[in-house]
Amino acid sequence: MENEEKLMTGEESLKIITDMINKTKVNISQGSFHLLFWGWLIFFCSLAEYLLWKLTDYATPWLVWLLVIPGVFVSLIYGFVKGRKEVVYTYATSIYIWTWMAFLFAAIVLFIVVWENMQFVAPFILILAAMASFISGIIIKFRPLIIGAITFWIFALVAHFTGPSISPLTVPAAMLTGYLIPGYILKYRKNHGSI
Amino acid sequence: MAQFKDLDPVLHSQLRLAIMSLLIGVEMAEFTYLKDQTGATSGNLSIQITKLKEAGYIEVTKKFRNNYPLTLCRITPRGKQKFTEYVKALKDYLNPEKQ
Repeated sequence: MENEEKLMTGEESLKIITDMINKTKVNISQGSFHLLFWGWLIFFCSLAEYLLWKLTDYATPWLVWLLVIPGVFVSLIYGFVKGRKEVVYTYATSIYIWTWMAFLFAAIVLFIVVWENMQFVAPFILILAAMASFISGIIIKFRPLIIGAITFWIFALVAHFTGPSISPLTVPAAMLTGYLIPGYILKYRKNHGSI
Repeated sequence: MAQFKDLDPVLHSQLRLAIMSLLIGVEMAEFTYLKDQTGATSGNLSIQITKLKEAGYIEVTKKFRNNYPLTLCRITPRGKQKFTEYVKALKDYLNPEKQ
């Protein structure tokens, strides 16, 4: 920044304001990709597991969840490649990213802990995902994500209190309300420059 | 129609305007963050922060973290109001036909 006493034109003032505000803006250009990618992946895995369990004699329907492993790599690589091209990288964006990394670490630990009782994992993973979604929604000031997080907590309770015939369906239902609907709204608003 | 002279002289300076524009979008910011974002020298930044503080536009809190001094800046309600008025006056100045 040059000497503060230099006379500025109105256009220069406006440019400074715009440039500086853009530096503090949360960058959410990747947000919809991750929401939609994980929304559809988890929706598919949870529904496939349920249908395999309900309609076939397949002994280990939970194996469909192994698709999550390449999913993590796709998400990380996409985030890394896109992130390197970002011009603006704010503290808020950093908190957003690390919130989801913390969710990933917590989810890995959770899967290790409940490995022998995977049928009970749904409410716990929804509770963790809700926390990450809720914080993300607050950071980017995006209400559909906050509401989506609240629906995760509701579905976690539903999964806990309903029988095994209903609880597996809470995960795909939660993906619709918590990831896919907010993801498509975010994508739409991003494309139309309204967020 | 707003005249150029109507623009708040406290804000109508490159560095002070940049500091306020950064602080308007965050809860608070460290001195080092403001220095990195504006590209100003420490001395110049200190002088301008003091001027904004004296005008009541920002609050400055000095702390220590791991034995190192930490200066935190936060925009005040008065600062927010003045910044909003400045932006409005600037818009009026740049688009006089809309008046």
